[in-house]
Amino acid sequence: MSGSIEVRGLSRTFHTTVRRPGVAGALRSLVNPERVAKHAVSDISFDVAAGELLALLGPNGAGKSTTIKMLTGILTPTSGEARVAGVVPYRERERNARNIGAVFGQRTQLWWDLPARESFAILRDIYEVPKAEHASRLREFDDLLDLSSFWDTRVRHLSLGQRVRCDLAAALLHDPPVVFLDEPTIGMDVVVKEQVREFLRHQVEERGRTVLLTTHDMTEVERLAERVVLINHGRLVLDGGLDEIRRRFGSTWQVRATLADAHFEVVPLPGIAVLSHDGPQVVFGPEGADAPTVHQALKAVIERYEVTGIAIDEADLEDVMRAAYVQAGVA
Amino acid sequence: MKAVRIAWRVTCLNFRAQLEYRAEFLLMIAIGAVWQVSVIVFATVLLTRFTGMGGWDSSEVLLIPATRMLAHGLFVLVLGRMHFVGRQIQEGRIDIYLVRPMPVHRQVQLAYFPTNAIGDLTVAAGLMAGALSRSGLDWSAGRIAYLVAAVVGGMLLEAALFTAVAAAALRFPAADYWSNWLEELLGTFGSYPLNVLPRAVSGFLTYGLPLAFVAYFPAAVLTGHGHDTGVPYWLAALSPLLGALAYLGSRLLWRWSLGHYAGVNG
Amino acid sequence: MPAAHAWRVARVTPLGELHAPPRMTAVLLRLTVQVVLVASLWDGLYAHTGTTAGLDRDQAVTYAVLAVLASRLRELDQYTGRDTVLQHLHFGTIVYWYLRPLPPRRYYALRALGEQLYGLVWALGGYAVCVAAGAVEPPASAAVAGVFALSLLLGQWVLYYVLLVLDQLCFWTVRNNAAMMILVFAQNLLSGVYAPLWFFPDWFVTLSSFLPFQATLSVPLSLYIGRIPLSDAPAELAVQAAWVVVLALFTRFLWRRAARRVISQGG
Repeated sequence: MSGSIEVRGLSRTFHTTVRRPGVAGALRSLVNPERVAKHAVSDISFDVAAGELLALLGPNGAGKSTTIKMLTGILTPTSGEARVAGVVPYRERERNARNIGAVFGQRTQLWWDLPARESFAILRDIYEVPKAEHASRLREFDDLLDLSSFWDTRVRHLSLGQRVRCDLAAALLHDPPVVFLDEPTIGMDVVVKEQVREFLRHQVEERGRTVLLTTHDMTEVERLAERVVLINHGRLVLDGGLDEIRRRFGSTWQVRATLADAHFEVVPLPGIAVLSHDGPQVVFGPEGADAPTVHQALKAVIERYEVTGIAIDEADLEDVMRAAYVQAGVA
Repeated sequence: MKAVRIAWRVTCLNFRAQLEYRAEFLLMIAIGAVWQVSVIVFATVLLTRFTGMGGWDSSEVLLIPATRMLAHGLFVLVLGRMHFVGRQIQEGRIDIYLVRPMPVHRQVQLAYFPTNAIGDLTVAAGLMAGALSRSGLDWSAGRIAYLVAAVVGGMLLEAALFTAVAAAALRFPAADYWSNWLEELLGTFGSYPLNVLPRAVSGFLTYGLPLAFVAYFPAAVLTGHGHDTGVPYWLAALSPLLGALAYLGSRLLWRWSLGHYAGVNG
Repeated sequence: MPAAHAWRVARVTPLGELHAPPRMTAVLLRLTVQVVLVASLWDGLYAHTGTTAGLDRDQAVTYAVLAVLASRLRELDQYTGRDTVLQHLHFGTIVYWYLRPLPPRRYYALRALGEQLYGLVWALGGYAVCVAAGAVEPPASAAVAGVFALSLLLGQWVLYYVLLVLDQLCFWTVRNNAAMMILVFAQNLLSGVYAPLWFFPDWFVTLSSFLPFQATLSVPLSLYIGRIPLSDAPAELAVQAAWVVVLALFTRFLWRRAARRVISQGG
């Protein structure tokens, strides 16, 4: 089964009641409510290939969760269309349910009063997973996520990190080709985060699952995603590879070189500007739309000049995304 | 003074918050009506069936549920959120309250506006009016003052019981289970002359779970049955004071438990 | 295979209880105290009265004790399991109900079934003890016992739907703790848990005969103590069955509306 996701012109409008201020206003709203429309998602289109991990990024309230809800079949779009593994999720919710796994941040789907392993057993029977298959998959997840040290504990007594690891396992036990993760690592410590990322990478690379992930953690994006989709105010702002985003918003690197010969004449290289020149100290920066990446620039500088010392300042993805959000009119 | 102002403002906000949920607010009003009718029916049905219950005539018995209901209504309005502390503990709200510069107990009380208290108090006031109009007693200033004290004392005693359960829930969240039962026991056994029960049972409801002090003893003192309640007359007569003392004690217990609060979910 | 998930889901409640022994102790204590209190209350009330509203003392005590036992069938502390509709809506986890290949209404039904069967074990245990202790009269005849069992089954079925409607209401009115409590009280009152409906004024009895609540408890218990004669049993059973059908259709309709609401608001 192909686990691709196709999104075409997806839109979703919510109608809410405006609240008037004050007790008198609240009483008036009670009698005569005023409705307004809010466009949570407008005309979004993108594709995710089978076996690809795509990060869906955007500031809070950009429409990420609404998009995921439409793709999981919980929410019906106002217009547009989506297909997940060939199924229109909101039209055939139950069929779609067998193809997908989902984790919504800190919301757990585990049974609060039971040991986590009982939840796995309940889900096994709900999804009709054969016993042997279930056992072997659970072993695999245990190897990656260390579940067995706490899966006999009742869920109410698990720590957040333990619970989310169990939730991830619970979402993937029925071997879904497509996985939706809405901020899965929120609030976790670095060790657990790394473990979860390793697990996700394994699921994409070894098991060929398609993963759509939302997160605010740029390290995560850098480690996991090759492609990102950036949305804001419900609109798609950018769809491209990490490289492309760096090129567009992140050309803020600097190469600081100490030249062997302080009197050597410094000339700009293609796409590389000289930002300052003070004796042997030269600072290079990107120039123009076709500026090279920091690695290419580094190579070019070393090849062209004789240097005794060199250092780079590269904007990390966090800076890049900040620039992207600012340019997209977010901040 | 500042505390009162903050409490008032938060209460206003809470009241507005109740209005936000239109359907629920209207539903609460509708349900309030059902509640009123059913309570009055329930309170009067047994009185008319079993006249001479425990040697009391029915106009005298009516004073017991009237006192209890009024005390209960005031409790729900003023201190009723104690009942839901267990829920607030499980949701981690207490942790949030602990870092704010206001006593946790007050924040618990200000968590939301008890819309249903309006219904409770309306029924209770109606029942009390009915009980007083049927009563053949001479309502001197002293009697009225004692009745008022009894209502306040009953409210404080009920609050004390729920505060004690809440204090236990701070340490053992499962203790919340008992608050529902407590509500049920108060509702079903707080409205009769307890001398109809076997001694062991009425003893339990006096010294074990002291609901006899909420309305039964004060009503007995008022109607002249104070000498055959099974407890010394002075003890029955001191019910309002005991309510106040119990409440003070429960607040100390609450404070102590809060000091030992360990949080939920690590 | 379909039976497997049914069994799994149904046993969630008993399993959760077994994992929490203090809770079971609490249930036992509460049940015992409640039975003793209720039995002595009715005993005391009848001290100066022979027969009232067609019930003598033994009938009234039997009715009251059975009412306590029967209300145990579905009166667990459901909130601790965090698996009520109200809590799922509050925590936003209701979405998972709609993300599984098991329809929410079937999941709900299976959970309730498990809960009611678990409660039945408690009720039967309590019943055996009460009969042995003489607090409850045994049924007058095998026929009465049979009709009672059938009527109790139908009553529990109606009760299931009544509680389901209360839960379904949460889809439209979130945060209604207090409303739920009042509705539960009204439901208990109208089904005759607190006092047999026979004691109430005529208008109240007439009113409740138009409502489903009396079918949950009042009818089966009245059959047991003989307040409703066997000759009237078929009619009463038919009314119960009619309520089952009506409420089944109504709750199905509400499930559909609830799903539409979740799907239009996103849970």
